[in-house]
Amino acid sequence: MMVAEPGLAVLAVCLPLLYPVMALRANWHRAMCFALPLLPLPAFFLAVSSDSGWQLELPWLLNGGLWAMDDLRRLFLLLTAVLWTVAGVYAVGYLALPHMRRFCVCWGLTLAGNLGLTMAVDIGSFYSFFALMTFAGYGLIVHEGTKEAHYAGRVYMAMAVLGEMSILAGLLLAASAADSQLLTDLPTALARAPQRDLIVALLIAGFGVKAGLPLLHFWLPLAHPVAPTPASAVLSGAMIKAGLLGWLVTLPFGEVALSGWGASMVIAGAVGAIGAAILGVLQHRPKAVLAYSSISQMGLMVLMLGAALADPERAPVLFSVIGLYALHHGLAKGSLFLSAGVSLPAGRMGQVVTWILIALPGLSLAGLPFTSGALAKLAMKAGLAEDSLDFALAGYLPPLMTAGAIATLLLVLRYLWTLSAKLETGHNPPMLLAGWLAAVTASLIAFWWMPWDVAGLVKAPVWLPASYQVWALVWPMLISLALAGLALLVNQKRSSARS
Amino acid sequence: MTLEQWLPVFALMISLAASLVIFALPETGYVRRTSVNLGAAVLKLVVVIVMVWGVFHGVNYGVSFTMLPGVTFVLRADALSMMFAGLSAVLWLLTTIYAVGYLEDSPNRRRFFGFFSLCVASTMGIALAGNLFTFFLFYEMLTLSTYPLVVHRGTEKALRAGRTYLIYTLTGGAVLLFAIAWLHSLAGDLSFRDGGHFVDADPDIHRSLILIFILLVAGLGVKAALFPLHGWLPQAMVAPAPVSALLHAVAVVKAGAFGIVRVVYDVYGVEASSALGLLAPLSWLAAFTILYASTRALWQVDLKRRLAFSTISQVSYIILGIALAGPLAAVGGLVHLLHQGIMKITLFFCAGNYAETLGIHRIDEMDGAGQRMPGTSVAFTIGAFGMIGAPPLAGFITKWVMGSGALAVNMDWVILVLVGSSLLNAAYFLPIVHRLWFREVKGAWPEERHWGRLETSPWLFWPPLLTAVVTVVIGVLASLPFSPLSWAELIVLREYAP
Repeated sequence: MMVAEPGLAVLAVCLPLLYPVMALRANWHRAMCFALPLLPLPAFFLAVSSDSGWQLELPWLLNGGLWAMDDLRRLFLLLTAVLWTVAGVYAVGYLALPHMRRFCVCWGLTLAGNLGLTMAVDIGSFYSFFALMTFAGYGLIVHEGTKEAHYAGRVYMAMAVLGEMSILAGLLLAASAADSQLLTDLPTALARAPQRDLIVALLIAGFGVKAGLPLLHFWLPLAHPVAPTPASAVLSGAMIKAGLLGWLVTLPFGEVALSGWGASMVIAGAVGAIGAAILGVLQHRPKAVLAYSSISQMGLMVLMLGAALADPERAPVLFSVIGLYALHHGLAKGSLFLSAGVSLPAGRMGQVVTWILIALPGLSLAGLPFTSGALAKLAMKAGLAEDSLDFALAGYLPPLMTAGAIATLLLVLRYLWTLSAKLETGHNPPMLLAGWLAAVTASLIAFWWMPWDVAGLVKAPVWLPASYQVWALVWPMLISLALAGLALLVNQKRSSARS
Repeated sequence: MTLEQWLPVFALMISLAASLVIFALPETGYVRRTSVNLGAAVLKLVVVIVMVWGVFHGVNYGVSFTMLPGVTFVLRADALSMMFAGLSAVLWLLTTIYAVGYLEDSPNRRRFFGFFSLCVASTMGIALAGNLFTFFLFYEMLTLSTYPLVVHRGTEKALRAGRTYLIYTLTGGAVLLFAIAWLHSLAGDLSFRDGGHFVDADPDIHRSLILIFILLVAGLGVKAALFPLHGWLPQAMVAPAPVSALLHAVAVVKAGAFGIVRVVYDVYGVEASSALGLLAPLSWLAAFTILYASTRALWQVDLKRRLAFSTISQVSYIILGIALAGPLAAVGGLVHLLHQGIMKITLFFCAGNYAETLGIHRIDEMDGAGQRMPGTSVAFTIGAFGMIGAPPLAGFITKWVMGSGALAVNMDWVILVLVGSSLLNAAYFLPIVHRLWFREVKGAWPEERHWGRLETSPWLFWPPLLTAVVTVVIGVLASLPFSPLSWAELIVLREYAP
């Protein structure tokens, strides 16, 4: 297999890069549109079939290229490939002229960047793929061409360019401190670098734009609602995770205890998790609610990241949990976004089934037992258990996680509520339906099929959580339900008072 | 005399001979003129490739004559020469192809192509000059041969721009001549030499050396469009697109920058220039020019004028890289000599295509042009992203290497300049890219012409696409042997370890 895997890796990146070339033929746009779901397939096979540990040296590439795979990268590759595949299927049913060619080209370029950055180990390739994804992503966001889309695109671009520059400066300083062009050498060198705090700040801010860190998140709730639905799904499910991956591979985890940065990240995560929920429940458009939900969920991941920065001993365990959580959230959020574009069938039974399928990934986010969310939430709880962490803020983490869980379900309920006002009965294009169903299936099933034991925190697969765990999962949900019920009641009172 | 001695002369003579033949041919001899032009360009490219191969393997190409006692005419090829000569040879071929299409059916083509070849011959001479005197001869020949090209249209605006151009460049030339003469009286006839001549100069002449250096940089800085000597360049963009392309990418501005590289490296030597305290102020001036010109570019509404300010900014990268006095930063500066040339010529070709095909000159007329001219617009987009420094394109390699080099010599402030310049570049290029692809066409184009199957004439269509592909390839494959980056590393290796 050692020959096949690097070949597959090159194919995975080059296949979507063919799209700009194919676009030169004016009448190929239909074929390009139909082939969208095929583009991530090599990457999918690479993630599923091969073991980690291969590497590919490309000495003539940029400043010397190196692509490789480890467990963390494989997780991100899998998420990226799955999500882009289902979104691609969905897009075939969703897309209509005009500008289909332009959309397909931007899709291919963004995909190539997103896949490539999960495999790149040298700084040049990683940064190139990251930038490719960022810039081509603009085309997906402004595709509809409305005034709103252009505004969102402008904000996105301005913040993205600032983010890119912050990353560039950070990587330059880090590479110079490490005297190396490989990402793998950065953490050790960073831990000892005299300009450590500056570099860490630049990298956190730079990748934070993508990951929706509070105050760097402004583009997210603007861009996600206006982008075509399949694009929103990959933006929120996969591309947002690229920022997370950027942090994971560059910051000095496990090398040195950065308690100051850890605390800042925990606070930022808490503000993101709870603040986004507060803003999110005030939104009226389903996709805007989901965008805030993404910021909120990323906040929880940032929380773990902060703990990992502060406690080097615990970092490896937290890494697995973060990866797990990212995979879980990516698949669930992708399905939720895709559900925003489906139509309800006419029959009563069909409607009920559709609503259940729409709601399930959302409930999974909230930690419904038997879903990936339950596992992710339990793993997070175990990973951040107070007595296992050597960190001043450790005592605040459990209540914060609970607050996060409440916020999660509230946002999901708000999404369902706003969606119910918008969904119409009608016919779904078959590919659109297939893409959405595949996404839901992936979110509910694929996760369990993966043979992971998350560093002994949670025995996987946990088909049935222990009874005390069920209670741990359910009580925040009950609070959210009570809050939502209250809001509903107030709303009804107000509308009856008005009439 | 052996082949080794004659190859540089031969390379120079090809363009010169082409120029004379073209002047001799009648105005209507379209086919013959084009064949001579293209044939000479291809032949020269071959000669230059042979010489690149030879220089890489350590062959010394060169010839010298004594003109007057103490004044010699020297042509020779070292790694730095070949970088400039290679750029000139490649871009001459492409620009000739482009110009043939661009000037189709316009008057005075004989005059145009004659001076065009003469201009290219001058750049060849500049590249191969082996001492300051020879350099100066070709440097002035360049001024005189580009003037007719700048005023080619003969409009009042063009004539005014030409006058400004002449005033600036001839004054610069006079200052340069004075400085060279002074240096000659001080130190005799100095041929260019890796490591320079003044490493252990007599402290008594330090003051004179400093003054001469300032004069040399001032004289060369006019063509290199260093602030505050850049005023002629935005005006000169009234010239036809192929002229602007050549002026901005290789001929004039690069000749200035190349001259400064020669002075710092091969006349004074990096060590001596640095010890005399000359490089730090030069780096500040270059950094200021980078940011100043980019800021000015933001306000330009004419496409070619915006590109002109962009050139002023980008050429100063080369000077900044040299002035940082570290090997890695120098690689970043030198490699930009090629990178900027390829990227900028792409952008000017595209600007010419928009003007010739759709009659577009202003940026606000470009809405939706990507649909009408996808090939040109793809090329423009690549060129623009290259200028911004987006990876993995050529401009990124420059920024990355120069940034690393600046950090290696503890000049951390340069990172701020690089980031600031990238932001400004993004601010003035991205709106254009947005207009091209994501705005709807406003109505009829100002002056649309049709060419059948392709979006524009094939002579105009292929050159920018080709240079755009090169922009991608020299970025992505930067570590291949004979890539611009590898060649710049070779030059610096020879300079720092002579």
